Amino acid sequence: MTLSHAAHVPSPARPRRLPAGLAAVTPAFALVAVVFVLPVLALLLRSVLEPEPGLQNYAAFFASTTYLKVLGNTFLVAATVTVATVLLGFPVAWFLAIAPGFWSRLLFAVVILSMWTNLLARTYAWMVLLQRTGLINRTLMNLGLISEPLPLINNLVGVTIGMTYIMLPFMILPLHATIRSIDPSVFQAASLCGASRWQAFTRVMLPLTATGIAAGALMVFVMSLGYFITPALLGGTSNMMLAELIAQLVQSLLDWGLAGAAALVLLVVTLAIYAVQLRFFGFGQARS
Amino acid sequence: MTCFLDIRGITKSFGKVAAVSDVSLEIARGEFMTFLGPSGSGKSTTLYMIAGFFDPSAGDIRLEGRSILREPSNRRNIGMVFQRYTLFPHLSVAENVAFPLRVRRRPAAEIARKVEQMLALVRLEGFADRMPAQLSGGQQQRVALARALAYDPPLLLMDEPLSALDKKLREEIQVEIRRIHRETGVTILYVTHDQEEALSLSDRVALFNHGRIEQVGKGRDLYEAPRTRFVAGFVGHSNFLDCTIAAHAGERADIVLPDGSRLPELPIDRQAPVGAAARLMIRPDRLRISSPAGADAPAGIDAVLSDATFIGETFHFALTTAWGGALNVRMPSHTLPPAGHGVGQRVRLSWAPGDARLFAE
Repeated sequence: MTLSHAAHVPSPARPRRLPAGLAAVTPAFALVAVVFVLPVLALLLRSVLEPEPGLQNYAAFFASTTYLKVLGNTFLVAATVTVATVLLGFPVAWFLAIAPGFWSRLLFAVVILSMWTNLLARTYAWMVLLQRTGLINRTLMNLGLISEPLPLINNLVGVTIGMTYIMLPFMILPLHATIRSIDPSVFQAASLCGASRWQAFTRVMLPLTATGIAAGALMVFVMSLGYFITPALLGGTSNMMLAELIAQLVQSLLDWGLAGAAALVLLVVTLAIYAVQLRFFGFGQARS
Repeated sequence: MTCFLDIRGITKSFGKVAAVSDVSLEIARGEFMTFLGPSGSGKSTTLYMIAGFFDPSAGDIRLEGRSILREPSNRRNIGMVFQRYTLFPHLSVAENVAFPLRVRRRPAAEIARKVEQMLALVRLEGFADRMPAQLSGGQQQRVALARALAYDPPLLLMDEPLSALDKKLREEIQVEIRRIHRETGVTILYVTHDQEEALSLSDRVALFNHGRIEQVGKGRDLYEAPRTRFVAGFVGHSNFLDCTIAAHAGERADIVLPDGSRLPELPIDRQAPVGAAARLMIRPDRLRISSPAGADAPAGIDAVLSDATFIGETFHFALTTAWGGALNVRMPSHTLPPAGHGVGQRVRLSWAPGDARLFAE
């Protein structure tokens, strides 16, 4: 009866040894070290060494209103996309968890298939939909709802719409796993206890899915911060995101020092958000 | 008997399958009523319609004279303990019990007082700050009971609340449930497939089969006077022997057993023509074993003892009739002669009038 209780008892201290599977994971570790850790370190070194040793690249980054605006854009879009995926993804995850077999499988396939479809193709599809003479604007104009095409592309609106769609599966999947682990009779109990639908949602559903929402939100927010293709295709030149700025600094301006500084700012912010997440929700902590 | 809960001809169909058909039942205030039956007999479905999780396809449910069908389950003010553990895993024991009061926006002082009172009722004082995962199954169901009673519902539904617990714990909590029923006076509707649980807990039992109620009554009535063959087979142990109707008069019939012996004037459940097949039912504890047929032997059935088992307070005997019918007999050990009965021995089985019943096929 107290099995779940026993799970919380820390296991007796064992002598520290190298884990048995180490040999098997060595190639992967080596690959990550060579193609990820080393280049990132090199870039970060260049940010404090080029054109001469010092923090001038960081000073330049934070002194420029343009760069700060790019940083602001990045956070704004990432935050908006995160909120939008939570709001849009929650009902889908809920439906996936409770729908009868066929409908649940069908919707699941749609979500997965959209994830498997080429990212570039999906982003171009949004260009077709969002442009001045695109499907959305023409439909709205034909319906007489608007007289001028809405500016849906080459700005942050377009970026946010496109990225919300692309990030949706990354919210739905962890949320679905969390919702599915909840025994639905808990909601029957809440209802008989007198809870209205809204009360059952806020007092039972939300607290029980908080870890799933947090996991999905972290994934979406962090991925959005560094996203490149969709902002590059759907965004405009006047409202860049940080990844675009880094690409421009490297490719057009050949300013590796400033690009490294911008990359480090992004990395530090990402790690800070991750630390906050760990503090409040733990790391993939299973709910007992 | 004032009718507190009035179930009127409710039917529930899922597609073409009727899970519950035309069930009617009147339950008095403060009564402990058990829905007993095999799985799929419609007892839980009936309970869920009262709870508001299913809408009946037909019929009405009235609580204190008012139909509750139009109210959603959160407005019915009914308590329920579920088969599975349904405590809110993110809330402490005290917060679980406080939940129904919080959603009703009761004052904090009242909530604190009520939580304390409820935890005392289920004897879990000192567990207020534990989380559900830190409790045993029995403790969780006690908390569930406290939560279900915290808002003083007039009606408490219990859907096989003890089925996940082991036997010893089950008996312990049964005693608790009876005490709580006495102390609170709440009307309880209890669903179980365990006949012992049903008989030991309830004032009355409604026996379900195939979506219908076969018989309602005190446990003793169901055991002593089963109205159908299903009731006789489900409540308590029974022997059934095939036989044929030889004569029928009113509520009694004469029968012929396969070996040609005739037994007169046995009570029968319904009219059946002469020559129709029927079943003779006798409880194993009502059969008496005596010496084989002689001049002074009582009327009854001859059989051969095929097995004898000593179980402590009782002896179990297995017997076989001349035509291969199987019978079981249970006798208190102290009533047997020291030598007992040997396997292979021929004996005469007899019973008191009224202990044998006929069920027409």
